[in-house]
Amino acid sequence: MVKQTKSQHIIPTGEPFFWPGGPTGCLLIHGFICTPRALRPVGEFLHQQGHTVLGIRLPGHATNIEDLMHTRYQDWLASAEDGWYLLQEHTDRVFVVGFSMGGSLSLLLASKFPVAGIITLACLYDLPSKLAKSLGPLIVPLSKVWSKRKKEKGGWVIPEREKDYLAYNYNPVRQAWELILLLKQLRAAVPHIHTPTLIIHSKDDDYVRPYQAEMLYEQLGSEDKELIWIEGSGHIITRDGDPSQLLKPIAAFIERISTSGMR
Amino acid sequence: MKKENYRIIPTAEPFFFPGGPTGCLLVHGFTGTPKEMRLLGEYLHGRGHTVLGVRLAGHATQVEDMIRTRYRDWLTSVENGWHLLQGHTERVVIIGFSLGGVLSLTFVASFPVAGVVALATPYEMPHKLAKALGPLILPISKILPTKTQKDAKWFNPEMKKGHIYYPKAPVRSAYELSRLIKRMQSLLPAVDVPTLIIHSRDDLSVPPVNGEMLFKHIGSQDKTHIWVEGTNHNLVRDGDTKKVFEPVASFVERLSG
Repeated sequence: MVKQTKSQHIIPTGEPFFWPGGPTGCLLIHGFICTPRALRPVGEFLHQQGHTVLGIRLPGHATNIEDLMHTRYQDWLASAEDGWYLLQEHTDRVFVVGFSMGGSLSLLLASKFPVAGIITLACLYDLPSKLAKSLGPLIVPLSKVWSKRKKEKGGWVIPEREKDYLAYNYNPVRQAWELILLLKQLRAAVPHIHTPTLIIHSKDDDYVRPYQAEMLYEQLGSEDKELIWIEGSGHIITRDGDPSQLLKPIAAFIERISTSGMR
Repeated sequence: MKKENYRIIPTAEPFFFPGGPTGCLLVHGFTGTPKEMRLLGEYLHGRGHTVLGVRLAGHATQVEDMIRTRYRDWLTSVENGWHLLQGHTERVVIIGFSLGGVLSLTFVASFPVAGVVALATPYEMPHKLAKALGPLILPISKILPTKTQKDAKWFNPEMKKGHIYYPKAPVRSAYELSRLIKRMQSLLPAVDVPTLIIHSRDDLSVPPVNGEMLFKHIGSQDKTHIWVEGTNHNLVRDGDTKKVFEPVASFVERLSG
């Protein structure tokens, strides 16, 4: 974990980024408690491929955890909409690339807006915490006395990489309820989504376990859908293991959809 | 899913218009939306500049979202915009209306920009009652979360019709606004970037004296104050907006060298 002082500003290196390029826009959405930096290498790659790239920062993220504590899932969704609006006016098509909860937001965005294709990386589809699920709405009063929970260590195949990974060290308790609400909405929306989708998941993800990718693949309404398994990485597949193995299938997917004349 | 599931009010979305090497970062006002900055954005884009109109946290969706926000969230929304622009432009000029002006002036104290424009921007908390109440607003806001805003006078009723904002303002946010204004006041003497202040003599919400106070207290050597008339507070939509847009564009172009 990178050391954090209580920041008034966005944590350096955790900023959002925007690189104009060709007529294909790629909207990159990071995960819960992490920052745009998680997707920066993917963004740099896509920009080198000639695409326009926007990596948004979700509200409450990349500053300090108190900011996250007063956000709701609606704020994260609105932020994803912001990103879509910023790209769509001057690109021919928009792809959404979401990591973990960013994947959930990408799918929900595609259920409302005409996106050309969805790429989910280690997509969150079912809340891993059994405790949170059994507490349900009781989380809300509980969070008044127990506002944050230390994040569990581990889960990395290459543990040294964790040192360099920028995320809050705690999970805000209240937002577990927000995740429950978000995922409930997501699962209701997924059968009605018909956007081409590429799902990438690691078989070694012991946080968002592989069954989640299978569930998503199965329930997704899209006729054009693909599930690609990778290995040798924990949940943070954009940093752990060999992240370069993500790039080829992402590029191939974008290339295929963009040239098939679909929007 | 149905249209009503959109979070952001249609037409009130943030916007980006790619253009030349100067990036204009547009920041809207309290309970307002990016829409109020769009005409100015189109004008600046028409003059060849890159334009980004950000949406402040909690704005342009529903007022419940704004109740939860703190002034820090509004500031980091501005910061987002600056990062998005500075990655691919040579310089950024920040242009804020009302609260957006307060945010812009606060922002330039910490981040490098080529210039700052404050349109109809308060120097003092415009709501006297809120100012007098101070932190007492916090317990009050638990009982009275929102308060209907006074119906503002517009010189141009057609433009009023298309104006999107929260008719009920979050009471808690008045406290946030007054804290932010205090912070801006303490930072202003140290601000040293080219500054343009435009205010209407007919501004009923943020009286003209605010423009004078800003001009007096800002540390910048290079500062200009322009008066307009025939518009109430919302000078980016009301009245003869050309009288605002033209000097803003000229200011941007002077800084672009």
